[in-house]
Amino acid sequence: MALIEVRDLDKHFPVRGGFLNRVVGHVHAVNQVSFDIKRGEILGVVGESGCGKSTLGKTMIRLLEPTRGSMRYEGQDITELSHAELMPFRRKAQIIFQDPYSSLNPRQTVREIIGEAVRFHRIVPRDQEEGYIIDLIQKVGLRADAREKFPHEFSGGQRQRIGIARALSVKPDFIVADEPVSALDVSIQAQVLNLLMDLKDEFGLTLMFISHDLKVIEHFCDRVLVMYLGHVVEEMNCIDLQDSASHPYTQALLGANPINDPSDRRPLTVLEGDVPSPFDMPPGCPFAGRCPHQIELVPMRADAHIGIAPLDAGPSIQAIRRFLGQCMQEMPPLETYVEGHRVACYAVDAEAVGAAASR
Amino acid sequence: MIKKFLRSRGLRKLLSNRLAIAALGVIGLYTGIGFAVFLGAITEKDTEARVWTDSYPGYPHHQTAEKRLDNCEVILSRVMRVLETEGELSEVAFAERSVSDASIEELTQKVQAGLALYEEIADTVGSLNDNPEVLPRIEQLEGFVDDVYTPLTGWSSLVYDFRLFFGTDRQGRSILIRGIYSIKVAIQVGVVVALIAVLFGSVLGAAAAFFGGWVDHLVIWLYSTFSSIPHLVLLTLLAFMFLGHPLETTLIPLYVAFCLTFWIGPCRVIRGEALKIKELEYVQAATAVGFGRFTILWKHILPNTSHLMFINFSLLFIGAIKSEVILTFLGLGIKDGASWGIMISQSQAEVLNGFFWQIGVATALMVGLVLAFNILTDALQDAFDPKHV
Amino acid sequence: MSETNTTSAAPSILKVRHLTTRFKTDRGIVTAVDDVSFDLAPGETLGIVGESGCGKTVTSKSIMRLLPPRVTIIDEKSDIQFQGLNLARVPEKTMRTVRGDKIAMIFQEPMTALNPVFTIGWQLDEAIKYHLDLDKKQRRERAIEMLRLVEMPNPEKRIKEYPHQLSGGMRQRVMIAMALCCEPDILIADEPTTALDVTIQAQILRLMEDLKRKLNTAIMLITHDLGVVAQVCDRVLVMYAGRVIEEGPVHDLFHRPRHPYTRALLRSIPKSGRKEHGKRLPAIEGIVPSLTELPDGCRFQDRCELREQRCIDEEPELIPGPDRRPVRCHFPLDGGS
Repeated sequence: MALIEVRDLDKHFPVRGGFLNRVVGHVHAVNQVSFDIKRGEILGVVGESGCGKSTLGKTMIRLLEPTRGSMRYEGQDITELSHAELMPFRRKAQIIFQDPYSSLNPRQTVREIIGEAVRFHRIVPRDQEEGYIIDLIQKVGLRADAREKFPHEFSGGQRQRIGIARALSVKPDFIVADEPVSALDVSIQAQVLNLLMDLKDEFGLTLMFISHDLKVIEHFCDRVLVMYLGHVVEEMNCIDLQDSASHPYTQALLGANPINDPSDRRPLTVLEGDVPSPFDMPPGCPFAGRCPHQIELVPMRADAHIGIAPLDAGPSIQAIRRFLGQCMQEMPPLETYVEGHRVACYAVDAEAVGAAASR
Repeated sequence: MIKKFLRSRGLRKLLSNRLAIAALGVIGLYTGIGFAVFLGAITEKDTEARVWTDSYPGYPHHQTAEKRLDNCEVILSRVMRVLETEGELSEVAFAERSVSDASIEELTQKVQAGLALYEEIADTVGSLNDNPEVLPRIEQLEGFVDDVYTPLTGWSSLVYDFRLFFGTDRQGRSILIRGIYSIKVAIQVGVVVALIAVLFGSVLGAAAAFFGGWVDHLVIWLYSTFSSIPHLVLLTLLAFMFLGHPLETTLIPLYVAFCLTFWIGPCRVIRGEALKIKELEYVQAATAVGFGRFTILWKHILPNTSHLMFINFSLLFIGAIKSEVILTFLGLGIKDGASWGIMISQSQAEVLNGFFWQIGVATALMVGLVLAFNILTDALQDAFDPKHV
Repeated sequence: MSETNTTSAAPSILKVRHLTTRFKTDRGIVTAVDDVSFDLAPGETLGIVGESGCGKTVTSKSIMRLLPPRVTIIDEKSDIQFQGLNLARVPEKTMRTVRGDKIAMIFQEPMTALNPVFTIGWQLDEAIKYHLDLDKKQRRERAIEMLRLVEMPNPEKRIKEYPHQLSGGMRQRVMIAMALCCEPDILIADEPTTALDVTIQAQILRLMEDLKRKLNTAIMLITHDLGVVAQVCDRVLVMYAGRVIEEGPVHDLFHRPRHPYTRALLRSIPKSGRKEHGKRLPAIEGIVPSLTELPDGCRFQDRCELREQRCIDEEPELIPGPDRRPVRCHFPLDGGS
């Protein structure tokens, strides 16, 4: 059984405006999202800014209240629980934040930052608290004397380690890591990723790893959800991400990522246009406006690297109708093509995904 | 808590600022004097005591020959009047100086001799002020005056000179003593008003930001309403409300009036800051741990607005002192006793006559304190703002 | 993209020698950039790479003289040769004719670099008015032309808009248009794509590539993203704790790094593919030393795998190695990555 089951989760934010500050509409930050997280796995969530990945992460641990839908943790529905009923879940699920500067209270010492949760949940008896904190600080790679210092006495990477120690202090099973390495330098990024990997094994953690960097996700995660404007557009295993990515947006993300090799220079995939505002979302597929299938039907489909139906004879009348008509009118459903691989695109079919996976 | 404060970066930064240290020193001096007054070093009675004749303000020895001559005449003829009517000699005593305990005849003789000398000098032809020969004779006359009173020796003579250092007002009260006593009044008004207003405003502001909804609406409505009433009108209204009330002569009406208008500043600022902090990730982390809303407000939000509370305290402290002076000058503030406002308002007539001692002392003391606090406020702002790393 | 290795033959347009920049801070004087020297050829893209605090931004701002003068000391021996001028020494007045006109700069956060209360048309107009002698109509045409050059859709409409009405990518395009409106010889781009999403980053990088080809502008690209460097730059300068530690053509540097730091940095980037998946990354342990407490010897000594006693005792010089590959290391590598 999956540790976490999310079904049809929606999170809308009201938008106020006008003279009377009335609610004039809603931003659909998370839209009809369903997925499972298995115990012990690392689920990556990737997407550009504003795609709702952070909102999803915060809603998962009830930092934000979901608008609709359900979340089950070990079979128990946690969507409707009150503050008091939520306490056992709060002990099990924690979060690590992106910004190493705003995620630590500047007026607390490291001991207070880590210790307050320990004391609140009575993780260890009072007399063992000191030892427990020292142990944690050392586990995240800091020296024991760090506990009397204030956050401003540390570098960004070290602060991120303190944030990780705080999340671990209640002995959680599940951690949402919201862009934990995005604000760090490359060499520090690798340190923190390694640390997370070690701690995951040692504490038997399940992780939801949110990032905008597909390279990091691909390396670090078991499975990935690709999000675009609040929708999950693709879900797949990371291990063969390069080959099996089938949604045109995922492919664009892969193609836009500059490759770390000067002898492999190729024109980066450039998506025209900007992400539409989530406020006035067009009906149909949210990606339709920038989709290469929409703009240049023929050349893109002829590209052998993408797992869409071959179109050697150029676009058929049906194909054009399918793309132009359906994409603009109706959100394509997230369909399972191969075990563990779901794609939401009309231009993708089972055969193509299967073929891509077998390459 | 204190240990944490002593190790904080803000304090280190504050102490590395030389101007701030100087300001702290000045404030310390004022506070020390204020505290000594509070403990009874100078009582209200001292501020009312007459140390010189009530006719001529200013420092006696700085006056023109004519004024000095007149002073002697006033004193001597007053004693003479008492002697003639066989009244109480204590009536003409001032400060520690009582009429000497010699026999009535002896006193009468001395006073008469003095008055005679006065007539003689007064008959001198031409301007006395420009005549160098007159001065030794005036000093001789002043010797007569001293003889009539008990001689001052040692300590009491020093005290007497100290009291007369900046002269007296028109009622013969020591300007210096009144000015110093007013430090206590000023600090008292400043501390009480700033403390109450900052605490009240901060708690309201933080609560409004954190709980939002109707709490926020209520607080915003409250401060918008209060800030739309002109400050002075509200104060005038309150002054009239307390008219004839037994509390009228105390500082209470002033406290009420100031606190009612001053809490708006800190409330606004703290609400804005708390709104920002509320969205920060460490607050979210605390929510994820499961802490209740009051714990988060108390442990994570209020401590991080403390620098603003400091600064607002300092600002309101200055504001209260200045407003007290202005209101008292207008006749709406302190009604009785001594304060810089009373001194300045009383010195109006003196200034017209060319005596600047009273207004000078009151203003200088006030400016010293306000300036030091202004400097300190700026230094606090620089040192304790967590954004200035 | 072709190999445009123009460096050896072409005369350099910018010659930086012994650039040393110090800051007065609460804790005394800190040397943020220490003895940096390099050349920039016309039409070349030079990448300056390093972690935060390595001095890459201070280097570019020293060249532009954009650092707060009250706390900045540019050392006497610094020499920045540009068109017969020493930019480290010329008076501010001369500098104003260079800045924007001949050397332009774009920044990481385009929102803070644009004035929110004016339309982008107005801001472009100001930039053109200051440097070129054109009448109002010509300036408007020039502004629209520049926006078209940076592939801004609907330029006639966009010049009436305010910065907040544009997306991040569009704002960065406006910044580039403003920087290029006087056809500068050098464009300094300080982390131009760091704040942008990858798909937008791809747009901006392609745009810079096109513009370079059209206008033959020399570009100094400051970034921490090695992927961007690999794709865009001709030559690379690697900085660490205020010093240049390695320099070379992008190919050689990526395939045969000579400094242990460069090699470790290249290795610590997550790689794709089945083989590497889920493996621990070869991270560089430790942190960058604080500029106030630099060690006596090599600045990388605490984190270096190859440290020897000599590295602790003496700081290596920048050795001008073979094939114009200077490196600051006692024991430079020569093998592959």
